Amino acid sequence: MPPKPLSEELIHREHMARFPQRWSTGPVMGKFLKALRDEKRIMANVCPRCGRSQVPPREVCAVCRVAATQFEEVGPAGTLRNFDVVYYASPDPVTGQSREVPYATAYVELDGAKGGATFWHELHETDMTKLRRGLRVRAVFEEDGKRTGAITDIKYFEIIEGEA
Amino acid sequence: MPRKTRPVAIVGVGQTRHSSHREDVNQPELIHEAVRRAIDDAGVSLDDIDAVVTGNMEMFEGTHQPDMWQVLGNGAWGKPCLRVSTGGTTGATVFGAADNLVASGLHDVVLAIGFEKQQEGHTTGGITAMADPLWARHLQTGALTGMAALEVIDEFGHERARRAAMRYRVIMDQHAAKNPNAHRRFNLSFDMIDDLMQKSPPLVGELRLIHMCSQSDGAGAMIFASAERAAAINRRPPVWVQDHVTVHREETLSLSGVPTYDAHGKLETTTQRRAAEILFARNGIARPSEEIDVFEMYDPSAWWGLSWIRDFLLLEGDEHLQMVERGDIAIEGRFPINPSGGVTATNPIGATALLRPLEAALQIRGDAGAHQVPRTVRKALASGFGGTLWTVLMLLSKEKPDA
Repeated sequence: MPPKPLSEELIHREHMARFPQRWSTGPVMGKFLKALRDEKRIMANVCPRCGRSQVPPREVCAVCRVAATQFEEVGPAGTLRNFDVVYYASPDPVTGQSREVPYATAYVELDGAKGGATFWHELHETDMTKLRRGLRVRAVFEEDGKRTGAITDIKYFEIIEGEA
Repeated sequence: MPRKTRPVAIVGVGQTRHSSHREDVNQPELIHEAVRRAIDDAGVSLDDIDAVVTGNMEMFEGTHQPDMWQVLGNGAWGKPCLRVSTGGTTGATVFGAADNLVASGLHDVVLAIGFEKQQEGHTTGGITAMADPLWARHLQTGALTGMAALEVIDEFGHERARRAAMRYRVIMDQHAAKNPNAHRRFNLSFDMIDDLMQKSPPLVGELRLIHMCSQSDGAGAMIFASAERAAAINRRPPVWVQDHVTVHREETLSLSGVPTYDAHGKLETTTQRRAAEILFARNGIARPSEEIDVFEMYDPSAWWGLSWIRDFLLLEGDEHLQMVERGDIAIEGRFPINPSGGVTATNPIGATALLRPLEAALQIRGDAGAHQVPRTVRKALASGFGGTLWTVLMLLSKEKPDA
């Protein structure tokens, strides 16, 4: 008996990938994360040539490309330079869960930071119509005992009421 | 200033019909379609190809060293093959690498391939995986941001800015309607603008679903040749690669409109404007909006497309909005942009930045069919975008450049 002809169907295979990751933070970023965890301080590093701050700190000045080894505290308050209000619930790549929308993210020029670099973090606000560039905002830290040496040791930024 | 050892021509191009789900082919088969069309367009055979450059963003499909698999369909078997991956700019870097290989004299005929099969993976997840794991990944939402819209709105007013962005989007869709290879064609018209402005679901800020680029399956291929080989091949008129420039940036510089300065005290600018300044200066182009005949711009959203017209053409004030409002950027307009429909219509990311010079080459040859601009195209501009706001800017020419 001849075999039955194969159908025209196109077969698809599906797969969900998961893999563990473990990043070394190195001494520069590590110093920043330790300052968040142990001291609730936001540390920028400063270029010895042009004086720009970088926060989070990076090993080398992005403009001068020399080692930036000096650290200075910046913030915790700052000025909102740009922001996003996110309505689309894309999955959190770290947890795999969908974030609650709407939520806001902010680029904050922290007080004391020189050269215009901004710091990217979540902005906590329920009334999105309040948001405009130039608002004064401040970092809100996780409680003692809950900070782990991660960027999320800062829970979010919030608008400082009453400050122009 | 960089000098080529010898001029380089594009002698053949091919692309797939781009689609949301090319479920009828696997990766090598998808690529093979584009390669076959480029080979046939040039009138050559695989034996004429000396080397292959191929690229995509592997994180999307999740297959590492995909060139090992794709050799089944890309013609690279037994040939030198370079794999390139530079995010959204991949196709443009593939273009630049192929050009450099022929210009150097190392190879005479090089096949350049860009492709992506977005539906085989997760687009937003793949892009998010580029973010720094220590301080950015918890916030990154793929390529979605409303800040470009916010800046245009802050500068030009809520009503005028949104109307111009939507007008831009409609024009792009009308172009896509004329391109049989385009992925998305919505049959938009200008009388839908009010409705779209209100009803298209917002993604981030004023970036709405209708503004945002496509996610496509597709591939493109281009064949580069030395002048001598181009003269022998000559099935269609050669298109000459006049120049290309790549401009990177440190990701937090000038992101938020706060002025920052480089080591020479020069105000930091967008990579789009810096690339345009460099490219036009070294090619003696003083008024790009008059001296360039067509521009295939990598426009990931209608907001960026609108905003970057000013940067790419070195314009000031509201000249770019005026161009859109007057319809200058339409196929039959004074300065046509994306006669192919651009990236909002079609976006197989690893191919997208190669499709821009590919479509520009068709325009120079007069071979773009229904979406051909109705003029002689002597100089065509093409751009690539990706990574952390990098730009690749490419200049193609009908006439052979002086060596």
